[in-house]
Amino acid sequence: MFPRKLTTLIVAALCLCVVSTTFHPVAFAQKKKAPVEATPPPVNEEFKFGEVDLEILEQSDLLDHRLERDGLVLADDAANSYINRIGRSLVPKDLALERVSWRFRTLRDPQPNAFALPNGSIYVTTGLISLIDNETQLAAILAHELTHVMRRHTYLQNRSNRKKFLTMNIMSAVGSYAPLSLVGAVVMAVTTVAPFIMIATMYGYSRDLEREADLKGIDMMISAEYAPEEMVQVMKSLDKDIEGENIRLFYNDHPSLDERIKYLSNYLGARADKVTAQMELNREREAYFRNTSSVMRHNVQLAINGGRFRSAVYFAQRLVDFRPDSENLFWLAESYRTLGPRAQELTEKQLTNSAMKDAAKKREKRTTEEEERDLLATPAGKENWEQHQKKAEELYLRALATDSPVPVTHRGLGMLYEKLGRTNDAVAEYQKYIDMSPSAPDHERIQRRIESLGKP
Amino acid sequence: MTLHKSRNEQLSSLRRLTNANLIFVSTLFLIALTSQSIHAQFIHPKIKSKETTVRNVVVLPAKVNVVRDSMKGPEGMAAESDELGVRIEKMIAEVLLKEKQITTQPPPSATATDGGSQQQYNVADFQTKFDDLLPKIFKKRSDVKKGRFSMGDEVLNLNLDKSVDAIVFIRGEGKKLTGGKTAFRLLVGGVPAHLKLQIGIVDARKGDVLVYTDPVLVGDPTTAVDRLRDALRKGFKKLPAASAK
Repeated sequence: MFPRKLTTLIVAALCLCVVSTTFHPVAFAQKKKAPVEATPPPVNEEFKFGEVDLEILEQSDLLDHRLERDGLVLADDAANSYINRIGRSLVPKDLALERVSWRFRTLRDPQPNAFALPNGSIYVTTGLISLIDNETQLAAILAHELTHVMRRHTYLQNRSNRKKFLTMNIMSAVGSYAPLSLVGAVVMAVTTVAPFIMIATMYGYSRDLEREADLKGIDMMISAEYAPEEMVQVMKSLDKDIEGENIRLFYNDHPSLDERIKYLSNYLGARADKVTAQMELNREREAYFRNTSSVMRHNVQLAINGGRFRSAVYFAQRLVDFRPDSENLFWLAESYRTLGPRAQELTEKQLTNSAMKDAAKKREKRTTEEEERDLLATPAGKENWEQHQKKAEELYLRALATDSPVPVTHRGLGMLYEKLGRTNDAVAEYQKYIDMSPSAPDHERIQRRIESLGKP
Repeated sequence: MTLHKSRNEQLSSLRRLTNANLIFVSTLFLIALTSQSIHAQFIHPKIKSKETTVRNVVVLPAKVNVVRDSMKGPEGMAAESDELGVRIEKMIAEVLLKEKQITTQPPPSATATDGGSQQQYNVADFQTKFDDLLPKIFKKRSDVKKGRFSMGDEVLNLNLDKSVDAIVFIRGEGKKLTGGKTAFRLLVGGVPAHLKLQIGIVDARKGDVLVYTDPVLVGDPTTAVDRLRDALRKGFKKLPAASAK
């Protein structure tokens, strides 16, 4: 169909296309330089807004609005102003970035995560706030996210992805009309392999940007007089896989946590000349827990709702360790009650990649009730269930024995007794709860439970 | 040389034949898709046996996400998605009333008081709970007919009006193609512009999933209003009318 010279030219052009879009100058620059030299200036001053960037900006503003409208942003003024204070302390003074207005907010999500929108909105999930130990670690997270905004990473990645998508589409068009000959076979081969290379480079570029945010974040922490080694501690905390979710996939948009810990430690090895005193960190931890306890309690509830029962126990235990008051004891009791027949911690075998993949598949098939039923049919599940219900009862009673017990403890105890088949005790506890808090939002639900238990 | 040339010709005619077949199959597929919307619906046994009748519902805010697919990749359409979500909510209310005599009440809304954010959280948490349940339902949709899926009696925490029998959850995902991408699709093939909806009707007292339907419409989701209404009408075909005895 095509003259031979022309097909050779097409193949050459396709190969050139793949090579030029694959090996971005940034990727070259970063691979050649040592990590210390690789960190660019804090702000991408050369950045000029284009039409595509303005569209992304508009979408970001709309996403902000959507998150708020859908009740996903935590309306806890104290916690939000605390995060806001830390975030603003990291932003270099007199810095005015075009089309950026800084907003630091808490997202109601039990999964540990944080993200930045290019308009300057930075979100940290309740799950991540509950996982870390002190203000410096929160500063490390915010510094990482701030870098994404200051270096205009979202825009750069979007621009890069658009080029790659266009190349992929052109290639698939050429590939589908390739002549059936040797040259055609080469064209087919190039166009078949090219999308995989393109996708790999998209993820590769994303990993480069993450790496830059990590390293630049450390510089930002040092400038704001936060102990930079806490960035490594954050990575170690994230590596704590309570729910068995850190599945390694073929394509990853972030470097692995091991890799991040390694390059951050290397980077700090040359720069950090002091180690923060443990005493100082302990003092900071106390202040951090005081400021974020309400967020952490809210997160325990979200974790239970989302079926993240092991995380709920872990976070509630941290709260009880900090202050064993009635409310914190109640949340730990709730966590144990709902943990039910599950083991409190995953075994090493359950944390292997293949086991985690299997578990994820099962999670997609089975409902929580079905999972519990299946586990209760096993001796280990039954033993766990008995142990956890006992522990929950003990904690509920401890919560009730404090100076100012929270009424909701009676509801929890009622639910526990209902499950244990102690109907009269359950009704009595439910009744106490309703009497103590007549305007509770779940009044009708509990009233109905009393009625159904009272039926012969 | 000759062999090479004649072989080339053979291959070329084979290619033409393959291409013709491909075009034919794609055209057929296209006609099949555009001429009608696809829909599946599954009803809880309690509805079938008339033990439960849906007369009055609350439609929770729809979560719809439509992207503009261009040659340079997908682009967000947040504003258009929100607009479409509101349109779908209204259309569902219309279809339920007109076809099934089921009335609709406004969803619980947050007020400026402290309890306002709590109510907003409640709605958000139920939406999330439905999102968690959705993949399980989708994996085996026919199990809705066995009454396997429930959101539990926590639905009562939404504190809806006593007359409300059920809550409607709406999810949608769609794609709108740019001119360039449409031309590309005609040349190379690919997924057409479409909107896939997943709608669940949940018992407002016990939390059981009473109805699950997932109508799909082919066409620009932001403009194909009549086709959307038609897809919704077909999607609720098996749901008995409130007046049915």
